[in-house]
Amino acid sequence: MAALSLRHVGRHCLRAHLSPRLCIRNWSLPMAMSICHRGTGVALSAGVSLFGLSALLIPGNFESHLELVKSLCLGPSLIYTAKFALVFPLMYHTWNGIRHLVWDLGKGLKIPQLYQSGVAVLVLTVLSSVGLAAM
Amino acid sequence: WLWRSGLGKPRNGRAAAVLLNKFLLARPVAVLTRPVEDCHHQTCKFHTSPRSFAGSKAASLHWTSERAVSILLLGLLPAAYLYPGAAVDYSLAATLTLHGHWGLGQLVTDYVHGETSVKVANAGLYLLSALTFAGLCYFNYHDVGICRAVAMLWSL
Repeated sequence: MAALSLRHVGRHCLRAHLSPRLCIRNWSLPMAMSICHRGTGVALSAGVSLFGLSALLIPGNFESHLELVKSLCLGPSLIYTAKFALVFPLMYHTWNGIRHLVWDLGKGLKIPQLYQSGVAVLVLTVLSSVGLAAM
Repeated sequence: WLWRSGLGKPRNGRAAAVLLNKFLLARPVAVLTRPVEDCHHQTCKFHTSPRSFAGSKAASLHWTSERAVSILLLGLLPAAYLYPGAAVDYSLAATLTLHGHWGLGQLVTDYVHGETSVKVANAGLYLLSALTFAGLCYFNYHDVGICRAVAMLWSL
């Protein structure tokens, strides 16, 4: 019955001596997006904290550090990739954050709306990241 | 609840199956107690307990403040682009730190258990947020400031 079928679903995790807790769940888009919202939030927080702490602890001003990066003569595609990598989690967290605020107003909580708004957030994230990294 | 039942480290397959069985048998009972007539059209009406049950309004105010700060931060992003300067720099430093502090606080609430662990985690979080805010303000005062820094970085 249900218990045995779940055990069957999680068996490849058990074989790898891992806990089956992640394998027996039916992953869905809203679920994955929710954990990504948390993940990007933590990553962005870490970045801001790193920036703040290095301002306090590392000698030299911002301009000198930028000069150091400039002296590495990195190619434009690498710079674009780095900008994209910086702006992508910020954009995802921002657009999904707006989606969260809409939920807090009580709107868009029906299941099909959840998936529609989720896809909209993903599309907006990619478009805005591409656009901002090109600036 | 599923992992707290001890499924985390199945010492032998049978123990895990028995525990899993026990919990999944318990669940249908919980489902039966939910009012069936509300679950139509892919929505479920739910009812919250009356406001008089809460001892204080602190949690409710905290929730509202979190949303207010989120909206403020949202507005600061275009402001940083259109009106860069000291006002936006310091507002960003404060709002960013506060939003991050409360967000990480939710993580502590969700993942840290045990009275001492929670106290230690929150103390560490306060320290991190304080240092971050201090660092950002220092940067705003002694260096170019957040808005200019992003502009300079982007012109690379």
